[in-house]
Amino acid sequence: MKTRGATWRNSSSETDKSFFWILKKRIMKFPYAGYLLTMPGLILVIEFKLIPLINGFLLSMQNTRGFEDPKFIGLGNYSRMLEDPVVQKTFLHALILVCTLPIWILLPLILALLIFQESPGWRFFRATYFLPYTIAPIIVGIMFRQMLAPEGPLNSFLRAIGLSSFALAWLQGPTSALLSIASVALWSFFGLGVLTYLSGLSSIPLDIIEASKLDGAGFWRMLFSVVLPSIKPMLGYWTVLCSSGVLIWMFPLVYALSQGGPGISTMLPEYLVFLTTFQFLDRGYGSAIGIVLFLFVALITSFSVRYMFQAGTRGAKS
Amino acid sequence: MKERFILKRKPRNLGISIVVASLTMSLATVMQIGPSSGAPVTTIKVLSWEPGNAKFWKNTVAAFEKANPTIKVKMQNVPNNQYMQVQGPYITSKSGPDIMANNAGLEIADRKSAYLPLPKSMLAIAKKNLVSYSGACLGFNPKNPCYGIPFSYQGNVMYYNKALLAKAGLDPANPPKTMTEFGAACKAIKATGNTCLALGLQGQFPSYWDFPEIARNYLTEADMRNVLAGKLPWTDPKMVKVLQGLATVTSSGWTNSDAPSIAMLPDAANQFSSGKAAFAGTIISDAVNWQAFGAALGDENVGAMLWPSIVPTAPLANSFSGIEGSVYGVTAWSKNRAASFKFLEWLAGPVHASLWVKDVGGISLYRNVDKKALPSSPALAQILKIIAKPTLHVGVLLSSQETDALSRGWQQVALGEITVAEWTASMQAALEASPSKQ
Repeated sequence: MKTRGATWRNSSSETDKSFFWILKKRIMKFPYAGYLLTMPGLILVIEFKLIPLINGFLLSMQNTRGFEDPKFIGLGNYSRMLEDPVVQKTFLHALILVCTLPIWILLPLILALLIFQESPGWRFFRATYFLPYTIAPIIVGIMFRQMLAPEGPLNSFLRAIGLSSFALAWLQGPTSALLSIASVALWSFFGLGVLTYLSGLSSIPLDIIEASKLDGAGFWRMLFSVVLPSIKPMLGYWTVLCSSGVLIWMFPLVYALSQGGPGISTMLPEYLVFLTTFQFLDRGYGSAIGIVLFLFVALITSFSVRYMFQAGTRGAKS
Repeated sequence: MKERFILKRKPRNLGISIVVASLTMSLATVMQIGPSSGAPVTTIKVLSWEPGNAKFWKNTVAAFEKANPTIKVKMQNVPNNQYMQVQGPYITSKSGPDIMANNAGLEIADRKSAYLPLPKSMLAIAKKNLVSYSGACLGFNPKNPCYGIPFSYQGNVMYYNKALLAKAGLDPANPPKTMTEFGAACKAIKATGNTCLALGLQGQFPSYWDFPEIARNYLTEADMRNVLAGKLPWTDPKMVKVLQGLATVTSSGWTNSDAPSIAMLPDAANQFSSGKAAFAGTIISDAVNWQAFGAALGDENVGAMLWPSIVPTAPLANSFSGIEGSVYGVTAWSKNRAASFKFLEWLAGPVHASLWVKDVGGISLYRNVDKKALPSSPALAQILKIIAKPTLHVGVLLSSQETDALSRGWQQVALGEITVAEWTASMQAALEASPSKQ
């Protein structure tokens, strides 16, 4: 029995189909249709990605003293970077952050699985997990600057429950400051990861899960043999996003929480680019650091992208 | 045929009418032709961090526009701590506002390519109206090119909370004059459970608000000019003593425990405003001045003094580190130069000066400002005495690299991560990396 809505939907989709079919047929008759269709996207990429990148590279080969006219110095800024301990330290900090990637990938996955499994309290987490992501990072930074202060709410809470030894000067230790910022970033962004995983989990056909249950698969067996292989593309997507994110999402948090301090203990390449370019007015050197950061991020993400591409190609062939 | 012709013409007429109407509206918007006067209205765009407060700028723009009906001012206000990253792209792209603000001293000198030098007529007005404008000129010399008009007098004082001093058994009428006395006062204040000195070491505040107050104990004005020229290395014993003096402030336990990870504005200033700290080293004009603290703590509870001296016999130990405040200049790319200079002229005039006094409680550079218009406040009365003996403000003579290294180094010294000797080395490296000092 067809409902009124169903009839309407069917007739609409038929109309849509015929309309798009005609449109497609007409467009495809036009020579160079493919080029024309990709043109808007291509123009945007060239205008807002490629040209600024080329400009940045050209600027990185210039010596810029304040706002005076720049002079061409070839790779001078790059060789200067090799001798600059601050630059080296910022990239070391970036590497430390990259090492936290497994947490960025696994923690949202665990929460997504718990929500998907309808574990106790899942309704609460389903309603709240995305909330931190909706708060602007700069606000998150300001918020946590208060919370992580030596006499702030977090330490007061720890002292109140008898965990005084865990009440640290979170933003003042050379190691704790960097890891605190990474934790705040994780708190802020993990909602996006949970959402990504949940969208993957909800696309697993229920009959596969039912069949595996009937075959006697337990939780772990089902997790490793059914669930994880099914959400592989989501896992890959989130890994790529996190690989670059841990390096380029941090700026507003570093800016609001520590400004790279104490000393340079939370200085990341991205913040150094900002500092060098806008505070020291050394645009050429700032661009050189920016270009190296770009290559660094590209290198880190290339592994995941390559894996995703290969998996995608295999999927297409099969 | 005729009917078709009419049908074809109609839409074209309509199209032409729409185009003409749109063009007229666009032109009217751009030029803002006043129907009554018939004179075109020029709109000038001003980039600023709104020194003082929003009310003051609203009033000053309204008063200017009333006096100059053919000029409209559009303010682009950016928070002070985000100003540089907004201004930087304007300067590099050589486009944007007609007028911009920068702090007097090296900050505006570093950006001189972005500004038009003041024409002779403007210099004459500045000379006639203002007590001083040298902070807007190269090398602090009015004979050199000057790039803007200042209107406020700025500098460092230490505010104190009289109620907290009394609570600690100290005499609010006689605040500490030497660092030895200050140390004893801090001991008494800490015993009451309060912080002695509210301090934040992030950003440029340590260089602008704290460094000059220690430096006055060891440097002469000639030394300060050498700092500006990059001729006084940080390895010089005098400069090392300044760094040691700063290190003592944090190592003596006088400050809040989170000083290395917060900024003076707003964090540490908030601690003082909330009555949790007895002293705060800030400034006389703009934000965090006597009026803001008076509003928070009560005028009767706020006192102002010079920072306690370390070397009471030093030539500048009892001098005020003073400098012109924000400087407004016309950008090199401005197409509305006449209107923009008219606005600068206004900034150096009497109406603007009286609004600055009335709305902000700031100290104006205008020669004939009505002193009676100043609000009555015990702290302001103390400030007016303090500023009577000024000296150079050595903080604004530091380059961006030195400013950054000073705050980062002090943070690390305060946390015991590096020694003063290592801090000195990093300051020297920053000096050597400063293009403006080579």
